[in-house]
Amino acid sequence: MYAGSVRFRTIDELESALREADYLPDRGLATALFLALALEKPVLLEGEAGVGKTEAAKALATSLEARLIRLQCYEGLDVSHAVYEWNYPRQLLHIRAAQEGTVSEEELFGSEFLIRRPLLEAIDSDEPVVLLIDEIDRADEEFEAFLLEVLSDFQITIPELGTIRARRKPAVILTSNRTRELHDALKRRALFHWIGHPSIEREVEIVMLRVPGIPETLAKEAAAFVRGLRSLDLVKPPGVAETIDWAQALAALGREEIDAEVVEQTLGSVLKYREDIETVRDETLVGLIEEARATANR
Amino acid sequence: MQGAAIVRHVVTFGRVLREVGIEVGPGRVEDAVRGLGAVDLTRQDDVYFTLRQTLVSRHDELELFDRAFVAWFLRGPVAPLVRQKQMRRFTDRVARDTLETGTDDADDADPSSTPHELGASGHELLREKDFAEMTPEEFERVRKLMAAIARTRPRRQSRRRTPDTRGDRLDLRRLCRKSLRSGGEPIEQPWKSRKVVPRKLVVLCDISGSMDAYARALLFYLHAIVGSGGGVEAFAFGTRLTRLTPDLATRDPEAALARANEIAVDWGSGTRIGGSLAEFNTTYGRRALSRGAVVVIVSDGWERDDPDLVSREMAKLARAAYAVVWVNPLKGNPEYQPLAGGMRAALPFVDRFLPGHNLRSLEELGAVLAGIERRHAA
Repeated sequence: MYAGSVRFRTIDELESALREADYLPDRGLATALFLALALEKPVLLEGEAGVGKTEAAKALATSLEARLIRLQCYEGLDVSHAVYEWNYPRQLLHIRAAQEGTVSEEELFGSEFLIRRPLLEAIDSDEPVVLLIDEIDRADEEFEAFLLEVLSDFQITIPELGTIRARRKPAVILTSNRTRELHDALKRRALFHWIGHPSIEREVEIVMLRVPGIPETLAKEAAAFVRGLRSLDLVKPPGVAETIDWAQALAALGREEIDAEVVEQTLGSVLKYREDIETVRDETLVGLIEEARATANR
Repeated sequence: MQGAAIVRHVVTFGRVLREVGIEVGPGRVEDAVRGLGAVDLTRQDDVYFTLRQTLVSRHDELELFDRAFVAWFLRGPVAPLVRQKQMRRFTDRVARDTLETGTDDADDADPSSTPHELGASGHELLREKDFAEMTPEEFERVRKLMAAIARTRPRRQSRRRTPDTRGDRLDLRRLCRKSLRSGGEPIEQPWKSRKVVPRKLVVLCDISGSMDAYARALLFYLHAIVGSGGGVEAFAFGTRLTRLTPDLATRDPEAALARANEIAVDWGSGTRIGGSLAEFNTTYGRRALSRGAVVVIVSDGWERDDPDLVSREMAKLARAAYAVVWVNPLKGNPEYQPLAGGMRAALPFVDRFLPGHNLRSLEELGAVLAGIERRHAA
């Protein structure tokens, strides 16, 4: 079991801890996180944008009373931004300040000149850590290969300092939006969980939790309306994050229910593309609202 | 279930998954067994997720897994599982056979009139000859020449830097080390520069009836490009869109084309360019496949449906892409005017408009791809 101070013996226990951290996982996600801890394996969470992949890692860290360390991936991410970098200005000043010939290489490449980036920070930590490697599909393949090494041995070698081993393995969560297929070797190393959009009941529950004081009818109608949007052919179907934003806006306007007028005013917090807003107009909009209200009152 | 029984079950289930085409290594079976040891075996959903999360690693395998799970553990009534691998091999064979007979027929019909020997001028003639008018032998020769053209790919600068004496940034790590010897004076200055790596290339190829001869030639060209390294995505469309990348990476382009024809073309119902572009934008564009890529569309621009849809979808595509190139074999005819509705609707969003009817025009395409720049107007 993962060497944190908090332990979970069953999926139920983890599930309720996540709920306490204001995150409502479905059973599949709770199982995935539970197995990641039990088998000490990284878990790869894939799914459309906005289904709560990053949030899951944050909630897990809270539940474990662990520190969350996040590595946001991007194209061109390299060792000096992900693992460590030497503090060159300080090194140069140090050489100059010292008497000529008195600075040795060991001194210059000692830990006080080391800038620690997320991966090193996670490996070399004394507290329990949840390491979130976010949007790994954005990093290039060279970095993926490097990451594979780190995740198999949980150690990092710095030529000047030697090898640093993890005293306790961090819990590792990788997320991907599937902009490209990840390397098989990396996938073999990790558990895999696909996160879909939540069921309507769960989404209502999530909205009620995240927007305290929202009228239940409004939460239901908002969730049902967004669900209707997802069935349309949109450039960017709204995720749970958008449902929450929108419900917040509706609640702030003091609404009890949705109607065409308020939806038109606030649609921008759900749909982020002009084409999508244009798709959802006139009869489509009215139809969606009617459907949402019918679903909510069922 | 007892320990040994669980192991037996999981091992057998692993075999079932392999049969339906899901790759399951021994390490994964071990994870599954360990996972089942940690969860409540009386809860079916926990068992399901444990097996799924340990044994499956790809989204597109989930459906196969679900069917296998229902059949194996729940003994449910399900449609017989298709053995994907075998099925594939079978369709490939069929495709190849049909194509081979097709070629043979052409040979039989015209056995002697083809000039088999081509001199230097013949070679030159071949470069100019329209793909649609080539004999199978000529086509075969052209195929070999394509590999050379395919090596020119659009490139971009990576953000990663490597040591380079003519670089544009100081390599501070090496500078510090070198300065040690000179008491902090940076006498020797090591530089580094950005590497140049291939830019993503996405090719959408119209394979409807009127494009047949050209589509074949372009697919051979694509096959050669896919072989030139990663970062190439190929799609074919007619009435529907289908992804060709995996086919082109592994097998004969003829077989890939035959398969694409089965999936994407309804004979006699015309081309749906707008619909196919929409499908691309929704399914692949959303996954940022086109972002920063050079997108090449190969089509004669004959749209069956709605030119407005073509222009809307082209606008979306052009916004995400680094540059859009349209290759239209009809443009090889000097008298050609882009009058077809779909073509006219698409042109405002196209950066480069090229023919693609013969080998010389493919060379031109290669040259354009190698040096393409983002257009200046938004």
